[in-house]
Amino acid sequence: MSLLFLLRSSQRIPFKSALPQIKLLRRQQLSSHSTPLTSCQAIDSIEQSNSTLNAFVSYRTKDDIAKSEPQNGPLKGWPVGIKANIAMTTASTTCASKVLEGYTSPFKATAVEALEKAGAVIVGKTNMDEFGMGSKNLYSKYGPARNPFRPDDTVGTEIYDYSPGGSSGGSGAAVAAGMCRVALGSDTGGSVRLPGAWCGIVGYKPTYGRISRYGLVPYGSSLDTVGIMARTVEDVLSTFKAICIPDHRDMTCMSESLRKRINDMAKSRPWVNKLYEVSPGESLEIKQPLKGMRIGIPRECWVEELSEPALESWKAGARRLADLGCEIVAVSLPHLPYSLPTYYTIALAEASSNLARYDGIRYGRRSSEKPDDLHNCNASNKYANTRSEGFGVEVQRRILLGTYVLSAQTCEQYYIPSQKIRRLIQQDFDSVFALPNALHAESALAKSRLLTSRPAGVDALLFPTSTNTARLLESKEKNQAAGYVNDVMTVPANLAGIPAISVPAGKKNGMPLGLQLSAQYGDDELLLRIASHLQQ
Amino acid sequence: MKLRAIQGIRHIRALPLAPMVATAVTGTGRIASARERKSQYLYSAEIIGYKPKAGLHLRGRCSYSTNTSNTNSAGWKTTIGLELHVQLTAAQKLFSTASAKWDDSPNTNINMADAGLPGSLPRLNPQCIELAARAILGLNGQVQPMTSFDRKHYFYSDQPLGYQITQQLHPIGRGGFIELGPADGFQYTKKVRIHQLQLEQDTAKSIHGVYPGYVLTDLNRAGVALIEIVSEPDLETAEEASCFVRKMQTLLRHIGVSNCNMEEGSIRCDVNVSVYQKGKDRLSGTRCELKNLNSLKVIRGAIDTEVARQIDLISRGQVVEQETRGFDARGNKTFLVRSKEAAPDYRYIADPDIPAIRISNGWINKVRSALPELPEATRARLQVQYGLLQEDVETMINEPGCVQFFEQSANGRDPKRVSSWITSEIFGQLSYRTQNFADTPLTVVQLCDLLDSLASDSITSAQAKQLLINFMDGDRRSAQELIQEHGWKIMDDQAQLNDLVSKILDEHPKEVAGYLKGQKRRLNFFVGKAMEETKGQARPQDISRIVKQLLDARSK
Repeated sequence: MSLLFLLRSSQRIPFKSALPQIKLLRRQQLSSHSTPLTSCQAIDSIEQSNSTLNAFVSYRTKDDIAKSEPQNGPLKGWPVGIKANIAMTTASTTCASKVLEGYTSPFKATAVEALEKAGAVIVGKTNMDEFGMGSKNLYSKYGPARNPFRPDDTVGTEIYDYSPGGSSGGSGAAVAAGMCRVALGSDTGGSVRLPGAWCGIVGYKPTYGRISRYGLVPYGSSLDTVGIMARTVEDVLSTFKAICIPDHRDMTCMSESLRKRINDMAKSRPWVNKLYEVSPGESLEIKQPLKGMRIGIPRECWVEELSEPALESWKAGARRLADLGCEIVAVSLPHLPYSLPTYYTIALAEASSNLARYDGIRYGRRSSEKPDDLHNCNASNKYANTRSEGFGVEVQRRILLGTYVLSAQTCEQYYIPSQKIRRLIQQDFDSVFALPNALHAESALAKSRLLTSRPAGVDALLFPTSTNTARLLESKEKNQAAGYVNDVMTVPANLAGIPAISVPAGKKNGMPLGLQLSAQYGDDELLLRIASHLQQ
Repeated sequence: MKLRAIQGIRHIRALPLAPMVATAVTGTGRIASARERKSQYLYSAEIIGYKPKAGLHLRGRCSYSTNTSNTNSAGWKTTIGLELHVQLTAAQKLFSTASAKWDDSPNTNINMADAGLPGSLPRLNPQCIELAARAILGLNGQVQPMTSFDRKHYFYSDQPLGYQITQQLHPIGRGGFIELGPADGFQYTKKVRIHQLQLEQDTAKSIHGVYPGYVLTDLNRAGVALIEIVSEPDLETAEEASCFVRKMQTLLRHIGVSNCNMEEGSIRCDVNVSVYQKGKDRLSGTRCELKNLNSLKVIRGAIDTEVARQIDLISRGQVVEQETRGFDARGNKTFLVRSKEAAPDYRYIADPDIPAIRISNGWINKVRSALPELPEATRARLQVQYGLLQEDVETMINEPGCVQFFEQSANGRDPKRVSSWITSEIFGQLSYRTQNFADTPLTVVQLCDLLDSLASDSITSAQAKQLLINFMDGDRRSAQELIQEHGWKIMDDQAQLNDLVSKILDEHPKEVAGYLKGQKRRLNFFVGKAMEETKGQARPQDISRIVKQLLDARSK
């Protein structure tokens, strides 16, 4: 029975693989590094390839790193890259924008602080689309970052003209090229998952509120999450454990009590507990480690734009999960087709608000041009020069669109309906997952306590990360909206606040593809465990 | 964190200190200058005997005519609604842990979030929620079970985030009222309803004209917690509006929500005014908003002026435009600040950094039970329980801590006598020193000692007044110690007084003759002379009796 048939059918039909069992890879083969990358090796690779890939916008010298011993912790000595929109006191935090030229933050992001405490060595700041606005890492004041992968026919040349994806393109390229072991990115609408897929690595967006946003320069505050990129799910998991902590400085960060409530609920599923009992390494010896899991294939993700290679890898991924013991079912998320316009309305509205503070008065770059008449112009005219010179073309476009959707006459036409559709999309996800949404409070908890037999609903969803492999940096879109279509697979998770991870899923003509898994709000640990089996 | 320590910040220019001290730090400045003048007022009889006149005292009640017909031309009525911005007494800002002392040295009380640094996030100060809840409960309104914050966008140099965090959709409080009635000088009773009460951030301070070509910004005030109280358009005259503001000040001070000091800007008032012809709908007029009215007098003046302007416009067949206007108190006219077309589009958006807050009934009840007795109840009780004059009650109730001070002092004493000492003598001194009641070092024990010494005739009232001055200067010794030090005792040797008065009568034959011819008021002249002679140590009533006796003897 084919995946296509499954997608077309209106009933839930269990998916059974017709192929013989895929031979499982051993753990050593899973990890791309036979020996872990040291910070010295990382700096070597940066010095060697950064001029080509432009992944780092600033990086430390070996001498500088040697000066201080990393702290003892689970990530001791891991070289880590930090996206340029995450605040640090030792390097500038420019968000790849002219408007923050030379700005060094007086404080550290919570995630950076936690990484250092766990022993990580921060090697530098990675390139990105200005303020996270873009899907190709094209719009950066430092110039575009480049994908270390090239189609088979160009290998051997010096041409690297494919995009690493965006907006955390620098982080993606850096991890893929061995310039760091792990990189932090940020994910507002797919900004770690798309580069993850296009650079053939793992890109993980946790549940909204799992990792503190304190110190992450906001783009769309209700969608933004700190994301983690690495070559293996195991590296992602270790990093996640180090930085997934409550933080009173971010009011949207999950409280201790909410974390506990989610944990209690997640652990109350008898069919899942088996998976928690074995470590990912051991479970490889088990013939069907995911037996009892139910994976949903969302029909609405089979979009017109989906390319043949992406569809093929989706099929292969579903087959692989079935072989691992999962039950594969088709599910429907009826409001998913509205997610792209909904996302662009909400994200841009919030962006226009979040970026209002860059006026060149207190920090950053101020235009040297004086307004024509100092005394006869209002304050906003005085800011116009600074903002026109400081923001790039894409950021200006998004601020203007965001301003438009919030204006008095259009707010009720765009912004308010978008908020309602966002709620419907969240409800769609709630309706397909077996685990109740912990945010819907006490009733959900009561319901989960009553679970004696397995309820209807899936444990995770499987769908492509992107409609195709990496695009050329120079490729011209028919219109601006066509560029935004890249995000169609990734934005729903941000709208719903649920965790999603992209894992490598083969290559087409030498260019990597990614597959995405997503789970219920707060169900990060299960998602990472399933993902560790899916990765190839 | 002090901003000075923040490396990433520049372009914030500190102000020269002098103008800030002169204009903003009023409290300490005043006390110091009052001390310097101490020698002058010690022996100044007018000051000792000063009784605050209505309207003259800094915090006293304002007097106004009870004629409520207002200055409206015949056939016209006025509709008025108020928006009050009130600074809370919270020690820290609404969304940061920086100190809320906005009048400290410029740009020293700033946190990351106040300066809008990239990646900083707001963190709600729970004390502000509690103070706002107290305010709405004190106004007899309801704390809402769900409240949330919105962003109001506009670009201005006093707005570091590019938006103000406020409560547009789900304010913390709705409903409630303030009652105006006979106690306030009206011949009728009316309830002025509260539409809503919301929490919001104050702006930074822009300082113009210190350096030509520059606007200076002091971020100390940026993010300080305000509540905005919006009334329903239930007010009809300037007197009602100013009385509403005065009663609001009293209430909010009383329940510890705000200092409500208009001069310092801790309460600011915007007024919406419209006029309509009698018989038409109350809200049929076009309203104009009068902004930044910073005293009760200005509020009354601005409303009356604006009402006259609107009536004049309509009478001449012109149209009142909806606009924002300012008030020029000197020229007694309002002027255009911003027309409706120029009004900014604030593009309200729910603040995604601040989750909605659910408030339980249990918590609301806890806040309610912690509220002190409200002024209306206190007012009624003081009149019934102690039989005080309404005027004295008003004076005391407007000064935080004063009613409690009175009740403790009146315990076991004649309450009218105690209240008279507080409202005449103590308030006279406060007024001269431009101090608030809360600032005086005088204690209940000291006042009680003083009153008891007076009642037991161990001192004269002139001596008692001198004692009060010592106490209010900060002397912490007891009444007994001070009496001993001054060597005060009552002169009541009748023979000695007789001799003294006889001598005075002998020295002033002209005045004696006048008295004997029927100029009875000459009596006071002799009493005064005798008191002077005894240095105030004799009882005036004793002297008066003896003078009368001796004069009567001479008439025979």
